[in-house]
Formats: sequence, structure tokens, C-alpha cells
Amino acid sequence: MTESERKLAELLVTTLELEDIRPEDIDPQAPLFREGLGLDSIDALEIALAVSQHYGVQLKADDTANREAFASLAALAQFISTHRTTAA
Amino acid sequence: MDLAIGGIGCIAPGLVGWAEARPILGGDLSYASTPLPRLVPKDLAPNERRRLGQITRLALSAGQDALAQAVTDASSLATVFTSASGDGEIIHSVCRELARPTPALSPTKFHHSVHNAPAGYWAIARQDHAPSTSVSAHDASFAAGLLEATTQVKSGHAVLLVAYDRADPFPLSLACPIIGSFACALLLYHPATVTAAEAMITLAIGPAEPETRLDIPELEILRRNNPAARALPWLAALARGGKTRTVLPYLDDRTLIIQTRSG
Repeated sequence: MTESERKLAELLVTTLELEDIRPEDIDPQAPLFREGLGLDSIDALEIALAVSQHYGVQLKADDTANREAFASLAALAQFISTHRTTAA
Repeated sequence: MDLAIGGIGCIAPGLVGWAEARPILGGDLSYASTPLPRLVPKDLAPNERRRLGQITRLALSAGQDALAQAVTDASSLATVFTSASGDGEIIHSVCRELARPTPALSPTKFHHSVHNAPAGYWAIARQDHAPSTSVSAHDASFAAGLLEATTQVKSGHAVLLVAYDRADPFPLSLACPIIGSFACALLLYHPATVTAAEAMITLAIGPAEPETRLDIPELEILRRNNPAARALPWLAALARGGKTRTVLPYLDDRTLIIQTRSG
């Protein structure tokens, strides 16, 4: 797990109040939704809000890139990294 | 109006569950205030359970305690939830966010900000579509909830009444000063529909008169300062058994009088 993935994992655990899951327990490659961490559509909205507040990166509802960004912790960390660079 | 009590639930510091509360309120054991443990309501999916605020955990736990103690059929229950202040923690958090230059409101907090959020989670946990009413009447919230539940029983439903209140954060605490955490739950039936009962009660609205107090000093403080805990003298009467008359506060010039027969 990279440093940026670990920080993002901490944000997810805190934001979503995940029970009995530590940031280091999240597999960076595992799906965040359904069979992986078991997150749902409300969690997607919470993640988008937290990412916007912490990284200044917007995850828009009508953006098809979202599906890829939400695929895994690693994909989301990559999406944030790319869009932060672009913004800066 | 006569009602049968089929089950009782109670959650407060030092009174976690009716099995623990009964001998203390009945005078057989002394009371010791201990912090509430983290309450984990049953029958909810992990995704729903982890989003629950403290006050919803309190309300659901009291309701589930009443069901666990039930001496009656609790398979189909209308519900009445009553709270003076509801989830002040959520309202505080939403208000703080709205006061920022660019508010970004959590969707979870937004959908928890309604007064009937605990009722909604109760229905989800029970997978139950029975009628539900959420009531608030400031310091009279317990009496108003009991009267609402009574009218539901009169119209043919078995009813679970849940009363709950928890201290609000500042500055909401100025509007409705509440101390501590307290929730109780009662299963209420039409007497003709049950063969067993914890107690039978008769309710009446009466003129102003001194309300019944508790002889346990710490719990008397909770009773005076937590609207849901106004139920405590009646719970003490249920714990003691026998025939009792309890006067609960209702409106400025009215009281709710409960005649209880049990044991």
C-alpha cells in the first residue's frame, strides 16, 4: 500500500465509520463496492464529499470516469493524484 | 382507557435493559450510575448499523429490549416514537455545515436529520410496514407519546411505544436543556387481545397536581432533566408491582394519571 493509498484508506474508515476495519486492512486492489468492502450508493456520495473537502477533487455524478475511480482504493488514489496534478 | 402492558424496555446509565433496571427501580438493589456501553442494535445490515447516531442506537436498543422481555405476541406492531429534542447531534452538525461559506452537507447526516429517523431504522430492522408515528411535545413528550399510542391501540393495533432523549450539544442545549441519556419502551395491547400481561393500566387526563417523584436521588435528577425519563416513576411502579397511581406531567394545567395493576 502506498502512502497516498494509506491516507485515503484512513479517510474512508473515518468518513464511513467502517466497523472493525483498519485502514491497513483495505486491499488496494479489491473492489470498494458490493463484494469488496461492501460499500453502497450512500457511501459513494460520502466519499465524493470527503474527497472534494480533503483533496479539492470533484467526482461528478455525470462523469463516466467515476466508475473507474471508484473501482478500488488504488484506482481512487490514482484518480485523485491525476486530478490534483491537473488542477495544480 | 384500559391497556395491557406486554413488555418493558429501558436503557439508561446503570439501567441497561429492563432485567437490570427492574430490581433497582423496584427498590431491591441500589442504583449505581455507570457510563452507557456502546449500544449495537440487532437485525440491521452492517451498512445501516454503522451509520446510526448515538440517539438512534439508544431508541432502537430500548425497543429491542422490550421485545426481548415480551410476554405477548410481538410479531406485528405499530410504533410510536417520542422525543423532546430528537437527534440534536445531527442537527448541530448540519447547522455548522450550513453556516460555512460553501456548505457541503453529508447525505447521511441529511437523511438522519428528520425526527422519524429512529422509526425508519426500526422498520428496516424489523422489515415491518406497520403504521408508525413520531411525536414531539417538549417536556410532555412521554405523556403525549403514551396518549398517541393509546389511540392507536384503541383503533386495533398492538403498539410499541419508544421514548428517548439525549443531551443536545451547545447552543441547542439552551433551547431544550436535557441531561444524560434515557430511553424506555412499552408494548401496549388492547386487554381483550392478550392472555398474559406484565400489567394492566388505566389512563386518564387530570387537573394539575404534584407529579410522582422517584426516591433514588440520581434518577430523580435524570427524571427532572430528561423528558423521556419523566416515565421513570411509572417504570418504578411497574417494577414494584401491585396497585399504584402515578401522576406524570402533561400540559401546564393537566396531568396524565396512570392506574397500574400488576403482579
